[in-house]
Amino acid sequence: MNIALTPEQLALRDEIRAYMATLMTPALLAELSGEQREGGGPLHRKALRQMGADGWVVRSWPKEYGGQNAGPIEQYIFSDEVIRAGFPYPFLTTDGVGPVLAEVASDEIRKAVVDPILRGDCIVAIGYSEPAAGTDLASLTTRAERKGDKWLINGQKIWTSYGHVADYVWLAARTDPHAAKKHHGISMFLVPTTAPGFSFTPINTLGVRTNATYYENIELDDKWQVGPLNQGWRMITGQLNRERLSLVNHGPCELLYERVATWAAQTDAGSGSGKIIDLPWVRTNLARVKSGLEVLRLVCFKQAWSMSHSSLGMDQASAAKIYGSEFFVEAWRLLLEIVGQAGALCSGSEGAVLHGVLEHRYRSGSVLTFGGGTNEVQRDIVAAAGLLMPRYR
Amino acid sequence: MDFALSEEQQDVQKLAAQILAQEVTVDRLKTIEAGEERFDATLWQQLADAGLLGVALDEAYGGMGFDFETLCLLIEEVGKTVAPVPVVPVLASAALTLQQFGSAAQRERWLPGVASGKLLLSAALTEPGRDNPAQPATRLQSAGDAWLLYGRKHMVVSADRADAVLLTADLDGALVLLAISPTARGVKLIPQHVTTGEPQFSLVFDGASVTHEDIIACAATARCAVQSLVQHTLVGNSVMTLGVTETMLKMTAAYTSERQQFGRPIATFQAVSHRAADAYIDVANLRLVCQQAASRLSARVDATEAVLIAKIWASDVAHRVSQSSQHLHGGIGVDRDYPLFRYCLWAKQLELTLGGGNSYLTALGDTIAEDFKHLVKTGVVASSDAAQQ
Repeated sequence: MNIALTPEQLALRDEIRAYMATLMTPALLAELSGEQREGGGPLHRKALRQMGADGWVVRSWPKEYGGQNAGPIEQYIFSDEVIRAGFPYPFLTTDGVGPVLAEVASDEIRKAVVDPILRGDCIVAIGYSEPAAGTDLASLTTRAERKGDKWLINGQKIWTSYGHVADYVWLAARTDPHAAKKHHGISMFLVPTTAPGFSFTPINTLGVRTNATYYENIELDDKWQVGPLNQGWRMITGQLNRERLSLVNHGPCELLYERVATWAAQTDAGSGSGKIIDLPWVRTNLARVKSGLEVLRLVCFKQAWSMSHSSLGMDQASAAKIYGSEFFVEAWRLLLEIVGQAGALCSGSEGAVLHGVLEHRYRSGSVLTFGGGTNEVQRDIVAAAGLLMPRYR
Repeated sequence: MDFALSEEQQDVQKLAAQILAQEVTVDRLKTIEAGEERFDATLWQQLADAGLLGVALDEAYGGMGFDFETLCLLIEEVGKTVAPVPVVPVLASAALTLQQFGSAAQRERWLPGVASGKLLLSAALTEPGRDNPAQPATRLQSAGDAWLLYGRKHMVVSADRADAVLLTADLDGALVLLAISPTARGVKLIPQHVTTGEPQFSLVFDGASVTHEDIIACAATARCAVQSLVQHTLVGNSVMTLGVTETMLKMTAAYTSERQQFGRPIATFQAVSHRAADAYIDVANLRLVCQQAASRLSARVDATEAVLIAKIWASDVAHRVSQSSQHLHGGIGVDRDYPLFRYCLWAKQLELTLGGGNSYLTALGDTIAEDFKHLVKTGVVASSDAAQQ
């Protein structure tokens, strides 16, 4: 057992960190600090294309696509550094939907969608959740009906992040309303956001902007139906497992912990009490964050390691999601306490500490305990798959 | 990065699990506990005969020559079965410290006996009111060529059977690590009664004689040796906690899946299954921090933070999983005819051994503060956020 990164892995980390530092120009940072915080602005799209051109997108892909088949640990290091740098990288497009399309889509779709994805020139939004189908996703009602040789799509999706800037929506729709079980009879579609009948309205959440998206008599050629008909559920759940993994990366929290600790070591506590970091309770708060963060780091690497040995269990993925999402909430609280009352000052305000990043982080952080599969369902999975406890039917 | 056990480690794990599962039955535990002291001499000798007591001792002393990480696999199995054998004090605290810091004569004198089971060592780490062995009130006084030992240690495991006990003392402001026989003149043994029933003793020193050959390390070397001793003990106990909590969790899942109330297994109530799921996450997390700390100690790289974090988690997880297990079991969980109670007692004892988690949280906070003050002072933090305000 050797629970440390190899010299090669450390070198990769440093290489990506240095690369991201050059990518994150002041102009891009400015674009990402305003209305286009979530990405999709012109400079963000340009930087993404640059990453594609420099081979970063394709890196984790198999060799037949020109990739290097980077292992899960290397891919985790990549995603962690990209998120740490603050770049809104469309992981669900590049590492979620993209590989699925490459596997099951027709040559025509691959050429039209997969190639641009690998060039960093295509963003795909995820259209799963509906107003009445959240945790109980299989009860979705958006429908796709045959109309001659075309499909007619009608329905509404919610929480469609990137929906306002995406090129496509990866849409789950009901194709067989009479299927015996509700998670049968669902199929997957790629909906071009340029299709007549597609529209969106913004949802401004506590933390980020997302969208409601509407599908009104959208006519699609059959080629946009991807994968086996009526068997979309398996593609959705595989995709969700993937999503869960990238929700709880440790890097951004580590960076913030380091920034707060540095700030506390630089800032006077006043009235001759030394620096803020000299206050006993501040040290305890930092120690709590550090000991929780270390576990998160190990949990993430253990998952990546397990994936490279094809042994990642459902219980393990769910446990990581629960632990990480709940740890973040606690970590933001402990770090905000250190900053004190000024922790409530927003980004851009006079006197904001660390550019108000903590004020934004705690607001957006509350999404994670229910987003990506609510933690109650994750705990059901842990009890059933990890402890073999019976479930109530 | 590799989380896998080597083939040899898997063999050690299997061997330990096999012997302990076979020998440590509830009836055997009851028999031992009805006797004079909670020490299973037969099992101890079986572990020695299988080579397991020498798993981390050099082959020169009759050991297997594996590392501390491999010893931890034995400790975890002992935790899983709450076997009445003092593997942490004897093997992790005393024997490993002697192997690393003892003189050739001391190693030759003690280690082959530990591996064969013929000799028993222990470590006296705490004093009344002082859980930190690096700051002993126990003192040495010069007496010609030798020294006299005065003071008191307590909660020393199996001191009655020990051929030698490692302990720290102060000699005119310098730290000394030494080994002394508990039957020597000037040493008084007083039995103590601890929550698990483990045999523990107070050792009172009133002018016991200490000679050159008893001294293991002095001053800077002693600080280094004691730090290593403490780190191996903390991680050993954290790993033992891992084993203890693993079994509690398994028992809880099994019991709640069987136990019917309101016409269905209570495990089907989410209030029950979710609390068990939280315990599952706790145990999985504890495993990771234990593995990291053990792996760093074995690789002889700086393990300060990793050890503190392992102890912090072990203390919290011991408490939480123990309380959840008892609660989810209901009445049967506190019945001494049902095996859960032993694990709960061990969880609490391990949580408190060498001090509770919060004292280590403070120590970790101090380490962090020193690190960041140093980084700021040396200008390593190039673009300070504070300066950007």
